[in-house]
Amino acid sequence: MGYVAVKGGTIAIEESINRLTSERLQKGLVLDIKNIEAGLRGLIDQVMSESSLYHETLAALAIKQAEGNPEEAVFLLRAYRSTLPRKHYSKVIESEEIKVERRISASFKDIPGGQLLGATTDYTHRLLNFSLMNESEKEAQEWLSKFNEEIGHNSEKSEIISLTFPKVLDYLREEGLIAPCGNNDVEPHDVTRKSLEFPSSRSERLQILTRGQTGAVTSLAYASIRGYGAVHPTVGELRVGQLPIHISHPFELGEEEDDYYIGEVKVTEVEMLIPVAVEREYGEKDLDFEVGYGLCFGQNETKAISMSILDYSLEHPNHAFPSHNEEFVLYHIDSVESTGFISHLKMPHYVTFQSKLDSVRKTKTTSKKDEVSMVEQSL
Amino acid sequence: MKRKRRTEILINSPDELAEELAKEIEQIYLLKVVQEPENGLVMLKVRETAKKSLFYLGEVFVTECKVKIQDSIGIGIVKGDKPKLAYYLAIIDAAYGASLRETRAWTSILEEKEKELLEQKIAHNQEILKTKVSFETMDVS
Repeated sequence: MGYVAVKGGTIAIEESINRLTSERLQKGLVLDIKNIEAGLRGLIDQVMSESSLYHETLAALAIKQAEGNPEEAVFLLRAYRSTLPRKHYSKVIESEEIKVERRISASFKDIPGGQLLGATTDYTHRLLNFSLMNESEKEAQEWLSKFNEEIGHNSEKSEIISLTFPKVLDYLREEGLIAPCGNNDVEPHDVTRKSLEFPSSRSERLQILTRGQTGAVTSLAYASIRGYGAVHPTVGELRVGQLPIHISHPFELGEEEDDYYIGEVKVTEVEMLIPVAVEREYGEKDLDFEVGYGLCFGQNETKAISMSILDYSLEHPNHAFPSHNEEFVLYHIDSVESTGFISHLKMPHYVTFQSKLDSVRKTKTTSKKDEVSMVEQSL
Repeated sequence: MKRKRRTEILINSPDELAEELAKEIEQIYLLKVVQEPENGLVMLKVRETAKKSLFYLGEVFVTECKVKIQDSIGIGIVKGDKPKLAYYLAIIDAAYGASLRETRAWTSILEEKEKELLEQKIAHNQEILKTKVSFETMDVS
């Protein structure tokens, strides 16, 4: 397909951009970035995860500019990211270091350290709360001070300094229910630096999945479970919490204690258990567990669960199912790539369409002539 | 005090702590700003737990600054858009690098702050522990 440049429409485009601004402002109210940051946590986490850039305030700005449209906000953040220098790579982050705010297991009732529900909508009634229509900042402050006061008085005194826990997977590995595996320190590939080629590496797959569009990742994982795939998963462990980030000194070799701490990022991590039949000696079959892995920025639980399902699917290629086909999954889940291509269809294609039109007209004329000559022959 | 511990205390405390320590150095020593505070990215390298391999999770937005005191170049780097804090952290890092005598007195200040942060962390953890599930097994016989 050819692309042809066209000129014209400058004044119309300028007026269209003015019109866009007027749509955002016409109700006479201006959204404060701080309000977006404070009240739209879910959307901010989604946008940071899909744009692969962690910064709540910039995500809030992108959401404001995009009038709440996530695909546009992700596009803005990805574009901005491309203007910034990459200064460092972090030290390897081990997810055991996560400072847990929420931790559950669907597989085991009793997990060491217990199940912590944290903040979740899982057990809320999905009824619209009309009292929020007129919620005031004064009421919010009152609620918060009461909440904090109750915590101070009612909690059992504990001296737990760090909410870090051993992994459920480690116990299963110790019991021999999951194959043991040692650390693999091969440097990961980076899809932002080198275009994806097939067959892909595991690091490329995980990077594309973690920055994938939430809806696309979820839909493909759902399809995989419903029958367009071969996965029957159970959540071994789901964690939400803060991961501390450290970097080494760029010029000096030093010990771990000489690293720089630069802050923490909130993430969701999922370890999915998937039972598989394994053939033993003399044709005997056993059941084993394999693990699918999901990790993404922010509290994006559905996405992290879906990522873990697709991770397993892509580790086990199967041409009978599209969800097990790496090209099908990895080429279609990126927000900027998919929405960019689909939305480019509304851009001018005048010349290419004219050429298609000419071809259709010629075909019609030729077939009419053929019809006439056939009628003449029959006479 | 080693860098990892002190940067964690300084970054998690109110910015005034780093400002106070940095101003102390600023008033006495000649500083040269090698790199003005500027924004950039740090790519996060993580280990997944299914195959224990490494992959890139995404980038975090940071502010970085470099300051020279005597022969020591200090680096201040922090998550987010915090030019002043990055500058103060760079001065403190350079001060430790140059083993300035003022840094000896900082240990007790930082340790005191660390205790406060620990208390806050314990209170925060207590808050989370309130959501711990206490299961009751139902009798189905």
